Amino acid sequence: MTFNLALTGSDLLLLLPEIFLTIWLCVVLSVDFSMRKVSNETLAHLSIGGLLITTFILFWFDQADITGALFKNMYVLDHLAIYFKIMILIATAMVILISIDYVKSFRFFKGEYYFMVVMSAIGMMFMASANDLLSVFVTLEFSTFGFYVLVAYLRDDVRSSEAGLKFFILGVFAAGLLAYGISLVYGETGTLIFPEMASAQGSYGLAIGFILIFAALGFKIGAVPFHSWIPDTYQGAPTPVTAFLSIAPKAAAIAMLIRMFYVGLASFKPMWVLLFVCAAIISMTYGNVVAIAQKNIKRLLAYSGIAQIGTVMVGLAAGTKMGSDAMLFYLLTYLFANIGAFAVIIAVSSAIKSDEIEDYSGLNRRSPFLAAALFLFLLSLAGVPPLAGFIGKLYLFVAAIEEELYTLLIVGLINIVISMYYYLIVVKKMYISEPIDSSPVPVSAPIKAVIYFCVAGTLFLGIYPKAFIDWAAAATLMFSNIAKTTAAAPALTSLVGG
Amino acid sequence: MQEELQAGFPILTFLTFFPLLGAMAIWAMKDEDLIKKSALGIAVLELIVAAWLLLGFVPDTAAMQYAERYNWIPQLGISYHMAVDGISILFVGLTAFLFVLLVLYAWDTVKVYPKAFFMSLLALETTIMGIFASIDLILFFVFWELMLIPSYFMIKLWGLGSQCQYAALKYVLYTLLGSVFMLVGFCLLDLNYYSVTQTYSFDLVELLSVPIPIDQQLLIFWLIFMGFAFKAPVFPFHSWLPDALTQGPIPTSVLLAGIKMGTYGFLRFSFPLLPDASSDGTVVAILMTLGLIAIVYGAIVAIIQADFRRLLVFSSISHLGFVVIGLFALNFQGIQGSLLTMINLGFTTAGLFFLAGFVYERLGHTNVQECSGLAKKMPLLATFFLIIGMASIGLPGTNGFVGEFLILLGAFQAYWLYGAIAVTGVIFAAAYFLWFYERAIFGPLKASLPAGLKDLNTREWGIGLALSIMIFWIGLYPSPFLRMINGSVQEVVDRLNHGTVAMETTNTHVLSQVISD
Repeated sequence: MTFNLALTGSDLLLLLPEIFLTIWLCVVLSVDFSMRKVSNETLAHLSIGGLLITTFILFWFDQADITGALFKNMYVLDHLAIYFKIMILIATAMVILISIDYVKSFRFFKGEYYFMVVMSAIGMMFMASANDLLSVFVTLEFSTFGFYVLVAYLRDDVRSSEAGLKFFILGVFAAGLLAYGISLVYGETGTLIFPEMASAQGSYGLAIGFILIFAALGFKIGAVPFHSWIPDTYQGAPTPVTAFLSIAPKAAAIAMLIRMFYVGLASFKPMWVLLFVCAAIISMTYGNVVAIAQKNIKRLLAYSGIAQIGTVMVGLAAGTKMGSDAMLFYLLTYLFANIGAFAVIIAVSSAIKSDEIEDYSGLNRRSPFLAAALFLFLLSLAGVPPLAGFIGKLYLFVAAIEEELYTLLIVGLINIVISMYYYLIVVKKMYISEPIDSSPVPVSAPIKAVIYFCVAGTLFLGIYPKAFIDWAAAATLMFSNIAKTTAAAPALTSLVGG
Repeated sequence: MQEELQAGFPILTFLTFFPLLGAMAIWAMKDEDLIKKSALGIAVLELIVAAWLLLGFVPDTAAMQYAERYNWIPQLGISYHMAVDGISILFVGLTAFLFVLLVLYAWDTVKVYPKAFFMSLLALETTIMGIFASIDLILFFVFWELMLIPSYFMIKLWGLGSQCQYAALKYVLYTLLGSVFMLVGFCLLDLNYYSVTQTYSFDLVELLSVPIPIDQQLLIFWLIFMGFAFKAPVFPFHSWLPDALTQGPIPTSVLLAGIKMGTYGFLRFSFPLLPDASSDGTVVAILMTLGLIAIVYGAIVAIIQADFRRLLVFSSISHLGFVVIGLFALNFQGIQGSLLTMINLGFTTAGLFFLAGFVYERLGHTNVQECSGLAKKMPLLATFFLIIGMASIGLPGTNGFVGEFLILLGAFQAYWLYGAIAVTGVIFAAAYFLWFYERAIFGPLKASLPAGLKDLNTREWGIGLALSIMIFWIGLYPSPFLRMINGSVQEVVDRLNHGTVAMETTNTHVLSQVISD
């Protein structure tokens, strides 16, 4: 097999968003090095400018239907990839905005912070396009390297260093699992490219290989039982990085999971449906139950994030076109609610220097705007109508009911009630408890902008979701031929091949 | 397919969202007096529009009236479909009526954060109006869930009891637990519609046109039952009610006890959509038993209560038992009586809660023993207590009589034993109310009553008078109200007798659609 890497102009066009962003990023980095006078804000605004231009390029691709595959099908740019890339870019732009004030408190490497954030974003854009197991490995590691640095950015803070170390060691371990899984799958099927795997024969090696790969990706998305790094890392990392970590890598890894299981393993659906049902049930229940006991808001959102990823996996467990539509839409609602919630946390913690839920007492009196916004985001996360989260959850559950996954459904619904409980505890603190210190909490302009944007997104996706559901449905059009399973019995024998 | 009458002006949308807009306007206001006046103005205008709606309502028909329909999320078949028919029209009027009284009640009884209180109250009006105006199942669910938020804050922030935090959380979590099951039931209806027509729909009117297999119906019935039973609350799902109603402020008690959203849900969705499940022998037997237990249990527990508000809670559980009995008698009189009783409770039980509030404002408690001899100090209060209380126990000439008489008639027609047991509830009701009246209102004048105890002021007097007028109007001349509901009740009874649409007719319906396309 010879590799022909001669690229044509039209091939390069498919890579244009990544190439453009890389060049732009290098320019921003050079500006930081060469012009000492350029302020931190300017660098942030330059980075956001690059991200926005890239987003527009992707919108144009989406509208003009510019899609295709590159490098022997290793890299694919289709509507699914474009959807996730746009989501990652928007998340990154918002994260940079909420970082601006935070970065001022760093003592070193202020400019490099933005470089690291955008670098990770480029890595995640590649993740969304990965179409074979090698590019899965490479892009996953690429995006994670940026995060290793970012998590430990507060190098004088013991917690941040601890978070960085934990994240690094478990991340490398997950990479090892991934490599091992890939080698098993390659050994069994003789190919690394997803579409070519569709015709593979089932075997134990293949099953173990994919379980290992799932474990590695489960580490990325923070599904139980691969979640143990999440709470400490979330708590220790700089809060904007936590916000970034809580959505962008998860979205990118979900894109990989969808591609891997919907395209590569479509013929083994009964088997992996069982896997995702279990993972979803455990993640939702564990995340929600443990969240009740949390005293720190970042840890609370960490556990709620574990539960939310369990909810997203309901879509994977359904394994249908409707399931993937629902997941895409749900991630979008999660993006707005979660980044919005973190923006409020950053604003509050920069004023009161604390992330303890106890210190949110009487926030309504100190800043009605922040309290109302956080209230809205938490309700959306809990799935209260007519906010975005409700429509997302409804969509996911309809997909699950259609596949007759009743156990999953009942667990999911009970979890909504549990999650409402701890979200209401925060709400109670903000609205009912008396403030210890009643000085107002100031909100800086960029954070305010992000909060407004997220509020608008949360309301708009709830009240007029039609356009976005259409977009998500168009992105997963290629899965419309996936058969609905009527017999829910998992056919293990089909995987083992008799 | 049911007939639909359109209105030129989106009056139901206006009725639903106008209070919310009003709440937003109040947010911008600073002056407390202006806030109160605006809240009253908004509530009164709402009542005028609602009255206009009732006057324009075509009686004796099952048609959906004032219909508005827009696609909301067509991918899942969710639409913004609002309309009223005989089942919901009186609730719209009742809601608008009660909110005017509530604003009047809150006028100077709410002393902390009055602005937030009136905002919550108006937001709550929007959600309750939305519940009664929605024909689309998801739209209904949206309002159903949203209702929890303002009422949660109201119980928590303005609760009278020391346990109001706990009561608010319990109320939200219990109701939420029920409604998530209800949501699954709704989704199953959606998917059943899909399996017949290959399109999704949550629209009640469209869902009525497809057949639903009986085993599916039973599953969906019990799922939806969970939602409505917790909200209503049907015995044994009532344990949140005593907490929420005695710990919360009077306005939420009035609404939660006076506006019977749970049993409305049975009549609105369960009966028409799932007629075979609703008339299934086991289902009827279970529901009848629960209803009868609620009647007797509620009444007996009410007798021994030392606190007047707790007495009202259990009397409300007992009355709800009557409503359930009437509904599951599954005949015209029973359902008609139930629907009318649901409305009546909005005047009687809610009215008694208002009166309890007047007592609470003066004494700081509603302990029956401690109020002994109130009639000597407050004759006006005693008069209203007698009128509304008599209506509550169903004295002829009052609205309570008409409703309960029809229910008992229906129950006897269904099965004599049901009627016979239910009748004891009437006797128990007389017992607990009259005994309460004797101890609290008459009885020797208690020395601990404050010396300067004033009788009702003009606002309170007005509230009592408005309620009394409605009580006698429905009691002496119920026919305009009955005519409004008759058409829809007949339609429900027909569906209960004939079951869901048979397969053949549906196929022709689909075919005719294909042809017309």
